[in-house]
Amino acid sequence: MRDKKKQGNKPDQDPAVKYVDPLNPKQQSRRDFLEGTGAAVVAGAGISALGIPKAQAQSTGSDSRTAINVTVNGTSHSMDVDDRWTLAELLRDELDLTGTKIGCNRSECGACTVLMNGQPVYSCSQLAVWADGATIQTVEGLAQNGELTPVQQAFVVNNGPQCGFCTPGQLMTATALLNNNPTPSAEDVKEALVGNLCRCSNYNAIVEAVVMAGEEGGVA
Amino acid sequence: MSEFTREGLEPLATIGNDTPRIDAIERVTGQAKYTRDWKLPGMLYAKVLRSPHPHARIVSIDTSEADALPGVQTVISYENAQVVWGAGSVNGGRQYNDPTKEATIHRRYIFNNPVRFVGDSIAAVAATDRHIAEQAVSLIKVEYEQLPFVLEPEEALADDAPQVYAEGNLCPDFRGEFAPMVSDIGDTEAGFAEADQIFEERYETGFIHNAQMEPRCSLAHWQGDKLVLYSPSQGISNCRHDTARDLGLEDHQVQVITKYMGGGFGNKNQNQDADVIAATLSRRAGAPVMLEYSRREDWLGVHGRWPTVQYYKVGVKDDGEVTAMELRAFSGMGPYRKNSGGISGMDAYGCPNRYREISPVYTNRTTSGNFRAPSEPHGFYGVENMMDEVAYQIGMDPVEFTLKNMRRPTEEQQFTNYTLDEVIQNGAERFNWQGRRRVTPGSDEGPIKRGAGFSFMMFRAGVGTSSAIVRVNANQEYTLYVGVTDIGPGAKTTMGMIAAEALEVPLSQVEVVWGDTDRCPYSVGESGSRTTIMTGIAVVEAAEDLKRQIADRGMPSGSDVLIASASPTPTTDGKTRQCFGAHFVEVEVDTRIGSTKILKYTTVHESGRIINPSTARDQIRGATIQGIGQALHENLLYDPKTGQPLTPGYYRARHLTHKDIPDIDVHFIETDDGYGPFGAKTAGESGIILAPAAVANAVANAIGRRMTSLPITRDKILGAMA
Repeated sequence: MRDKKKQGNKPDQDPAVKYVDPLNPKQQSRRDFLEGTGAAVVAGAGISALGIPKAQAQSTGSDSRTAINVTVNGTSHSMDVDDRWTLAELLRDELDLTGTKIGCNRSECGACTVLMNGQPVYSCSQLAVWADGATIQTVEGLAQNGELTPVQQAFVVNNGPQCGFCTPGQLMTATALLNNNPTPSAEDVKEALVGNLCRCSNYNAIVEAVVMAGEEGGVA
Repeated sequence: MSEFTREGLEPLATIGNDTPRIDAIERVTGQAKYTRDWKLPGMLYAKVLRSPHPHARIVSIDTSEADALPGVQTVISYENAQVVWGAGSVNGGRQYNDPTKEATIHRRYIFNNPVRFVGDSIAAVAATDRHIAEQAVSLIKVEYEQLPFVLEPEEALADDAPQVYAEGNLCPDFRGEFAPMVSDIGDTEAGFAEADQIFEERYETGFIHNAQMEPRCSLAHWQGDKLVLYSPSQGISNCRHDTARDLGLEDHQVQVITKYMGGGFGNKNQNQDADVIAATLSRRAGAPVMLEYSRREDWLGVHGRWPTVQYYKVGVKDDGEVTAMELRAFSGMGPYRKNSGGISGMDAYGCPNRYREISPVYTNRTTSGNFRAPSEPHGFYGVENMMDEVAYQIGMDPVEFTLKNMRRPTEEQQFTNYTLDEVIQNGAERFNWQGRRRVTPGSDEGPIKRGAGFSFMMFRAGVGTSSAIVRVNANQEYTLYVGVTDIGPGAKTTMGMIAAEALEVPLSQVEVVWGDTDRCPYSVGESGSRTTIMTGIAVVEAAEDLKRQIADRGMPSGSDVLIASASPTPTTDGKTRQCFGAHFVEVEVDTRIGSTKILKYTTVHESGRIINPSTARDQIRGATIQGIGQALHENLLYDPKTGQPLTPGYYRARHLTHKDIPDIDVHFIETDDGYGPFGAKTAGESGIILAPAAVANAVANAIGRRMTSLPITRDKILGAMA
């Protein structure tokens, strides 16, 4: 306390009112949040029964690291990850796969969507340690040898990206959809992509592009 | 569907053809590099500590534990880093005016004491790791003396209201005088005396966060006395100038780089506090610093559209002629004035007697600022719902009433062209206005009711100074240097297409260099619907100059190049230049649960000649959808007891998702008035102006109750029907 003499001027403060962090009013740590809502988030993002080991989700302190094996875009990595890293941080900061974007870091916007064992997940809300043994596909893993997938090509032709920040997430969810349903209707696309927000509100063009990709033969 | 009518226009080689963005591949493969994607050697990560209180004086701050945390490099706060953020608060909200910024009375610092809203910044930490920075921020101990706060603009002007500043809560104008903004045309008293009927109503609108997908961030890196700033700016020249002024540097000592940026819609026009905070931390730490805001910080710490209260009074004769209009209004600016607080719309009417008085007011909510057409959507909602109501009250079709009363060219004020009649009539026909609207509002039987609404607008498409450089080498490869960034509308591609057209070469022969103040000349910035017109005109001029050089000297050979630059200051010969639009929408309201569904949406716009049809189409569709969100969902609510924000974030503000989106028909009536680049006007902001007004009018037509408060959430419809 550097300025003790000013403390005499305190107003009638209710001592029962506790300090509330405005950016985290429930005083939850990120890990609390993940543990509390992880199951719902996972289900909402379309994956189930990934068998996340409970022990790995426990708080282990800032210096704690865990060895994992993970395959990303066809390349396998054995690495020690900080237990507090999210999967998005692992991809972006450690593997330099910055195509995956962080828009909200709290399972609201879908910009960070990647495919985990073929299913779309919000990588901001998966811990990196949970990816042990998993196969991950990011937007960088779509085009092969410079050849765009049909849905990427359709985004190019039909102005799928405006600012482009949500585009990687939209593409990954669309890819999962097309893998399961090669000729989706516009309604199918809207249903599947409902968890991917676009504030440019380029929704019409995105849906048209995914439908177009389906008509043109599904994802290779 | 989308349709482009080009009657009487000569087809062009490049312009007018659907063209994929020149950077589309980067955008769909994850190669596009946004600010947070940069990584520099030795880069530190930074986090900001923000106020938990709506209004408080900081009694003491103790950063010793944060300082001592291993990995922490620098901690700065209001005590040891008192840097004015000039664009954060400006007299009169004049964002682009240096002398006004210098003279600003209520300055905003990068860290403030007292703090004046929940989210006001207090201190920042730079550390070797993002998580260490987060942890260090949580270790800073702050003792607050809480102060009384005020949230509503009308309440803030009461005599006994808590004072945000000692001088009171009415914001100073650009002269530093504490007075409302007044516009007084003709004689309203005489106009009201002439009227057969006078109508009055109060309208209010909410706070709409820009909510661009990319949260605010900034990467600062000093090279000696030069600052290199990677920032998601929608105006790199403005960002450089603002940052240089804030830090006491010359413009050339700051380089702003914006390769890709994730949207802005007006909240990345000037420099941001993040830029100045990152630069300050970086200078002290002697290392590059990446400052990242969380989504919640972005929601509270940046800005959104100002909430308003609008009292209208309209005098009308029995034949539908409007004789007088009056608006007395209040705009909630938060505790810092980043923009005017304007409320437009009345100017779209020709009525000769108009009085408008707007009081921009300080409150302890988060800051208000630019959002796509800053003064328009809430104003057009207010005035066009007022006029729609008047039309139905006197038994007139709102479209007829508009055609009778809308502003038209006069001898004193000519337009470069005027197509509003055609735009409105075209839209009414396409939409089947007569078939869809209910002559008696709310007349559908049963609880599920349909109705149709209409709105119209004109919006600035003025010309002004910007710059471009174009170069050609012996391989006939052209390079265009323009200081634009692409915030979504496709400016890079648009500029390339204009250059290709003017140079008479294919677009594939034109490389566009953008987004770097050290490599590109001044550009106006991607705000105010200016880039296509102003930088586009500069591109045409530079291209014409280069073509003359080629004609005079022949194509360059060997390692020679030819270069042309242009910084034109065009005029419109005293005429006003406007784009025009009309929206028609049919809704279905379930009065049992208060929900509103869009059944049909038709837009007609005249934006001059369209450069790239697909990106123009999606500017209108995207802006319309944002406007529908403003009409039906979005708002930042506060708890009146605690002053805490309740709905920051996409879910809480209930942003539209894929499943909420209707088909939107887009029709452009293309023209060339001879003033824009190949006749182009503006499209980016215009779509959002119309949607809130049209949707609210349609709801009123469906349920027979005028909805006087945006957003029209379910509770409000249920309340109106009760």
